[in-house]
Amino acid sequence: MLVLAVIGPYVAPFDPLAIDFRNRLAEPSLTHILGTDGSGRDVLSRILYGAKLTILSTVTVIATVLVFGCILGIFSAFVGGTVDNFLMRIADVWLGFPPLILALGFAAALGSSLEAAIMALIFSWWPTYARLSRMITVDILSKKFVASANALGVSTFRKVTHYVLPNAFDVLIIQVTLDISAVMLAISGLSFIGVGAQVPAPEWGAMIAEGRSFTSKGWWIVTFPGLAIFITAMSFNLIGDMLRRELDPTLITRQ
Amino acid sequence: MPNSPSPTGNAERNAILKLEGVCVALAASRKTMVRNISFSVRPGEIFGLAGESGSGKTLLMRTIFGLHDDAFVEKGRMTFKNTEFSSSEHRRRVRKLLGREIGFVPQDPFSSLNPTMRIGRQIREALYLGKGISPKSAEAGKTTLELLKEVGISEPATAVGQYPDQFSGGMRQRIVIAIALSQEPSILVADEPTTALDAYTQRRIINLIIERSRNRNLAVILISHNLELLRKNVDRIAVMYGGQLFNILASDEIGSSASHPYTEALFKCIPRKDMNLADIQSIPGEPLSAGYGAAGCAFSSRCGLRRDICDTSEIPVNASLEQEFDACLVRAGRRP
Amino acid sequence: MRYVLERIAFSLFALFILIFITFLLSHVVPGDPAIAAAGPNAGAEKIQLVRESMGLDKPFHVQFLVYGAKVLAGDFGTSWFTHQPIADDIMRELPPSLELVVMAMLINLLISFPIGLVAARYHGSNFDNAVRVVAIAGAGVPIFWTAILLQQKLAADWQLFPVAGRLSFANRDFEGATGFYILDSLVQMRLDVFADLMMHIFLPALALSLLFTAVGVRITRTAMISEFRKDYVVMARAKGASEARIMFRHVFRNGATPSLTVFGMQFGWMLGATVLVEEIFGRPGIGRYAIKAVTQSDIHAVVGVVLVVGLVFVISNMAIDIILYAINPRKTRED
Repeated sequence: MLVLAVIGPYVAPFDPLAIDFRNRLAEPSLTHILGTDGSGRDVLSRILYGAKLTILSTVTVIATVLVFGCILGIFSAFVGGTVDNFLMRIADVWLGFPPLILALGFAAALGSSLEAAIMALIFSWWPTYARLSRMITVDILSKKFVASANALGVSTFRKVTHYVLPNAFDVLIIQVTLDISAVMLAISGLSFIGVGAQVPAPEWGAMIAEGRSFTSKGWWIVTFPGLAIFITAMSFNLIGDMLRRELDPTLITRQ
Repeated sequence: MPNSPSPTGNAERNAILKLEGVCVALAASRKTMVRNISFSVRPGEIFGLAGESGSGKTLLMRTIFGLHDDAFVEKGRMTFKNTEFSSSEHRRRVRKLLGREIGFVPQDPFSSLNPTMRIGRQIREALYLGKGISPKSAEAGKTTLELLKEVGISEPATAVGQYPDQFSGGMRQRIVIAIALSQEPSILVADEPTTALDAYTQRRIINLIIERSRNRNLAVILISHNLELLRKNVDRIAVMYGGQLFNILASDEIGSSASHPYTEALFKCIPRKDMNLADIQSIPGEPLSAGYGAAGCAFSSRCGLRRDICDTSEIPVNASLEQEFDACLVRAGRRP
Repeated sequence: MRYVLERIAFSLFALFILIFITFLLSHVVPGDPAIAAAGPNAGAEKIQLVRESMGLDKPFHVQFLVYGAKVLAGDFGTSWFTHQPIADDIMRELPPSLELVVMAMLINLLISFPIGLVAARYHGSNFDNAVRVVAIAGAGVPIFWTAILLQQKLAADWQLFPVAGRLSFANRDFEGATGFYILDSLVQMRLDVFADLMMHIFLPALALSLLFTAVGVRITRTAMISEFRKDYVVMARAKGASEARIMFRHVFRNGATPSLTVFGMQFGWMLGATVLVEEIFGRPGIGRYAIKAVTQSDIHAVVGVVLVVGLVFVISNMAIDIILYAINPRKTRED
C-alpha cells in the first residue's frame, strides 16, 4: 500500500485534475479503466494520486501521536504519583470522546482544510498512545532487571532507550497497524463532510462527496474510491490482527 | 448391550468403570494424545490417577466423561455400570449420564463456580438437573442446606444467598463437592482438588472426600501429580506418563518390586520424613507431554534401565484388565 | 455505594475536561475569537465592542469561569445561521439523532451477541474463523460509503425504502410531546406513522451500525471465548446442563458484562458518527446540524454539539457502569 502511495502518481494514466467535459461520466472502459467522473476526470488516476494524499495524512497523524503520546506516557510513568494519576485520568476522559465530533470541533475552530483535519485528529488521538506507553513502562519498571539497573546507577535516559523502548516495540507496532485504518476512516470521513481535504483534491473521502450527486448516473464514481478506502483499511486491520497473533497473544492491546 | 460377558475374573465383572484400550485424540488437530488406556474401578473404591502435568490424565478423564469438546475418544471401549460406550457416538451417549451418575470436582475452585450466580441457586440447579427437584420447592431448599452442612459449611442458611467470591478457596471447594454429591452419583472424579489450596486445607478436603466416599459407597477417581498424597489416601494407583499407562499398583506397594521404574523415580522425588536430603532425587531430562508419537516407551530416554527393546517394541497394554499392571518392557523380560 | 460515588466523581471530572476542551476550541484555537464572533465585515470598533461584551479583555481563568458558568446554565450562545439560541436548536435536533443511534444500537446488539456467542461456542470452527475475518474486515468499512451505496441500491433503484427524510410528506404535520416520534406515535396509537418512521430510519440505522457491529461482534466473541474456557462451564456440563443452558444461563451473563462497557462507549461514538449519515439521508439531527454549522463557520454551534455529544457520552458511560454494578457488584469489582 505504501508502495502504491509512492509510485501511484507515476503509473497513473491521466492527470487527476484534468477536466474533459467531452468525456464526462464515461463508463469503465479500456481507456478509463474505472471510468470518469462528473467533470471527465479519470477515476483510476484520481484514486492513485489520492492514495498518496490519504496515506500521507494518515502516516502524519499516527507518527505524531506515536511520538507525542509515548513521550507523555513514559514521562508520566517515570514521574508517578499525583502527576501520573492526573495525566492518565485526563487521557481516560479524552480517549472516550467520539474522535470524529472532537475533530469536527477542531476543524471548525481552525477552518476547513486537510491540514486542519490532520491537526484535529492528532489532537484527539494522542491518549491511546500515552496510556499504552505508560502501561508498558510501569510494567517494565517493576521488573527485577530494572531494579538491578537502578543499583548500577543507570541513567533514566538510558533506561528509556535500552529497556522501555525495545520492550514497547511489539505492542506499539500492533496498535499502529490497527489504528491506521481507524485514522484513515476518520480522515476520509472528515473530507467527506467537507472539513478535510477540499474539492477538487483527489482525496478519497472528498471524491465520494463530489461523486454523490452522480450516483444514479455513474455508480463507479462513488464505488471505487470507497472500495479503495475499504480495501486499504481492511488490509491494515488484517495485518494488525496477524501481528497480534504472531508477536504475543498475551500482550496488552486495546480490543 | 448390558451384561456383556467379560473375559476376566469376577472383580472385573462388577467393576463400575472399565476402560479397554481407550485412545484420546484432539478435536482440532486429530492428534492422538492418550494411547491404549485400560483399567477398571470397583464400586466404592478410591482410585488414584498419578502423573506429571501434561501426562494426559485430565484430558483422559474429561474426554471419557464427555466434559469438553476439545478432544474425543478415538478408539477403545468404556463400560460404565454394565453399559458399553464404544468410540462412535461416545460423547453424545455419555452425556446422558452426566447429572446423575458422575460427580466432578475441577482443579481450580476460583473458576469452577459461576461468579454471578448465588451458591444456593447453583446447588438447586444441580438438584433440578440431576433429580428433577423443582428449584423453588421446599424440598430443594431443605436438601441444599443439608448438603452444605454435610460438606462442613458452618452457616448454610447464610451461604445460600452469597456469591462465590465471598468464600475462601477451601470453602469454595467444599461447595463444589456439595454440588457434585447433590446428584448422588456413583462415581466422583476429583481433578487435583487440592492443588490450589494450602497444606492444612488440603488435608481437610481430602479427608472430606474420603469420608463421603465411605459413607455413600461412592467410587472416587482422585487425579493428582502428588504421589505421596495418593499413597496415603487411595486404594490403588494408576500411573500415566506421556499419554501412556505405565503402572497400576496397590498404594502400599509403591517402592516394592511391583512398581514401574517411572513410579519409583517419581516416588524418590518426594521429600518424606524418613529421608535425608541426599535421598531426594530428581528425574533426569525433561518430562514428555501426552501425544508422544514414536514407538516404544515414552520414558525410555530418561530411564536408568533402558535397553534397545524400549525404543523398538510397543509397551504392554493392560488388555485383560488386571488389578495390578506393569508396562515396563525390561522388567517384563526378566519376570518368570 | 463507594463505587457509585467514585464513578460520579469521575464523570464530573470528565465534564470539567469537556468544558475545558470546548473552551479551548471556542476561545483560544481560532485566534482572536472577537474577530470571528463579530463576523467577516466588522470594523475595528465593532470588534472592540464584541471583545468587551464577550469578556475577552479579562484574564484567561476569569474567561474560563465565566464560560463554564454559562455552559452549566445551559447558555451556549446564539447561532448565527438559525438566529436561535444554540441550546434550543440542539434540544430540537437531538431526539431524531438519539432515535437513530438507539435503532443502530439495537441492530448492533441483535447481531453482536448471538453471533459472538455462537462463534465462541464453536471456537476454531469454520464458522468461527469466518466470523473473525468478516469482523476484522468490517472494521474497515467507511460508514458514509455504505450509506450512499445502500441508499442508491435499496432505496433509489429497488425502491424498498424511502430515499430520504424522517417521515413521508403525508405525515409531515405529525407532532409529539417528547420529540421522539417513534415513542410519540406509539403513545398516540398512530401505527401508520410508526411504520412510516421505521421505514425511514431503517437504512440510515443499518449504515450507521455496520462498522460498530463488526467491532461489537469481535468484542463479544473474545469475551465469550474466555468465559467458555472457565471451569464453571465444565462444572455445569458435569451437572447435566444442556449446551443451550450452559450458553444462556451461565456463559452469556458473565461474558456480556465486559462487552456492555464497550457498547456503552459505542453509543457516544455512534452519536458522533451521525454526521456521516444524517446528511446523506436528509434526516434532521445534530449530525446534520453540526455540518451546517461547520460550513457556516458557526463555531459556537459546533462547540455546542461537541458539548452535548460529550455530555451524552459521559452520562451513558456512567449509567452503564452503575447499572452493571447494580446488577452484580461482585463481578464489577473483580473486573
